[in-house]
Amino acid sequence: MNPPDIVNATVTFSNVTVVLDRNLILDRVTAVIPRGGCTAVVGPNGAGKTTLLLAMLGYVPHRGEIGFPGRRGAPRFGYVPQRLDFDRELPLTAGEFIRLGESRSPLWLRAGKGERARIERTLSLVNLEYCRDRRIGDLSGGELQRLLLAAALERKPEVLLLDEAVSATDPVNRNELIRLLERFRREMGFAQVMISHDLATVLALADHLICLDRKVLAAGTPEALDASGDLAAFFPGISLAEPKARSESA
Amino acid sequence: MPDLADVYRAMGTLLPFEFLQPRFMRQSLLGLLLLSPMTAAMGVQVVNLRMAFFSDAISHSAFAGVALGLTLAVNPRFSAIVLALLIGLGVTFCHRRIRLSGDSVIGVFFSGVVAAGLAAASRDRAIARSVQAFLYGDILTIGDSEIFVLAAALPITLAFQYFAYNRMLYLGLDPVLAGAHGVKVGAWQYIFAGLLSFTAIFSVWSVGVFLVTAMLVVPAAAARNLAASAGGMFWWALLISLSSSVAGLAVSAQDWAGTATGATIVLAALIWFGLSLLPILLRGARKHA
Repeated sequence: MNPPDIVNATVTFSNVTVVLDRNLILDRVTAVIPRGGCTAVVGPNGAGKTTLLLAMLGYVPHRGEIGFPGRRGAPRFGYVPQRLDFDRELPLTAGEFIRLGESRSPLWLRAGKGERARIERTLSLVNLEYCRDRRIGDLSGGELQRLLLAAALERKPEVLLLDEAVSATDPVNRNELIRLLERFRREMGFAQVMISHDLATVLALADHLICLDRKVLAAGTPEALDASGDLAAFFPGISLAEPKARSESA
Repeated sequence: MPDLADVYRAMGTLLPFEFLQPRFMRQSLLGLLLLSPMTAAMGVQVVNLRMAFFSDAISHSAFAGVALGLTLAVNPRFSAIVLALLIGLGVTFCHRRIRLSGDSVIGVFFSGVVAAGLAAASRDRAIARSVQAFLYGDILTIGDSEIFVLAAALPITLAFQYFAYNRMLYLGLDPVLAGAHGVKVGAWQYIFAGLLSFTAIFSVWSVGVFLVTAMLVVPAAAARNLAASAGGMFWWALLISLSSSVAGLAVSAQDWAGTATGATIVLAALIWFGLSLLPILLRGARKHA
């Protein structure tokens, strides 16, 4: 495994170890998230992928160091969880959801003209203008994922974290999300970190892979991991030279 | 302390209803007009964050708080507030630090405060009598000093609602998402627990230990059914809480009713809740049609 290139990194993990309830979840993880790129963290269930994201967000106590080169504190994160477990009868509209994060005035006061325009603009980024006054509990799974993405983008993130956010949707919504994510990363320049089980999504978006199973087993570009055979070890029978086989397998 | 006599006189002139003729009724009305917006607004978060059991534990801490005050020869209302605050912050601390469900943590504290209060009451008859007064509450005995405390607490509560309403809602949806998007989760949880503890203890004065949770939860639950948006839920809760308080006070003062004011207020709010179910039932009927 090549040593991580920390010069172009936006996040660095140095010997990060997480132990929860005496269970070793992450074991001396050393890796980098390249600036402006799309990193996919892949691995089997229980490999510690979500824990790695939560450690980055400061939610999980850890040993070792998580660094953000070139800045004092943590970068501005945008986070899209796999799903939102909430009471579907909650009278919270999609427009209000966008207001939750960034608005300075409470929802019980009417949004100003500028704020209403901002909400419209944000919803239109993910093609959800028609959902502004609909309760979030009435949205479909795909619409809700796009709304979560819109809320994350509203923060103008420096690092966008996606926890199985793309692969949790149906194929039509998945393709739309992939298209939107590619566009936004190009336009906004954030580093993207995604957890995914879905090889098609990983290969469509990622230019850097971290293969994790409690510890980093391999990391690098998809092409480099394909050449070294590490990609095939994680996704048996897959080669980048056979795109058809890839998508069928996914 | 400023004299509120002019306020009561003005209320008598502006509201020439028979049940408001005695001064203590005007005092009670003023107390309720200050308390109801607080319980309504805090109730919205209690419902959204599923913290009804938490407010129950805080209100029951009044037992131990009063007993503690009488034992230590300090004002029992003061000791009840201090203990409620400690319990509220303690529950929040344990919930955040110990890998135990929120319900279990609250259950442990709940049992502790009730047991401590009962132990003290069983040991001393004077304490037992004082504790009993807090069981049922009585808004009709509210004094000017309590009204001043409520008048100070109301703007603090409204300021909290201004700055925290969105954040608490975000937190209720998903604390990790809220934290990732810049909400200081721990700080807001502690501030909310402290303020809710104060509000619950103030409510004990008016409706008693048994009905505090109802005072917080019922208007907000009805508001949730009626509102089309999260912002609207706040205003519905205010309307329901204020109207229930005024109606409860007015009805309880009638000879034909002769009921306890706190209980009548909660019953009025429950009528609102019953009405709030109608649109839900209609929506359900339309879906199945």
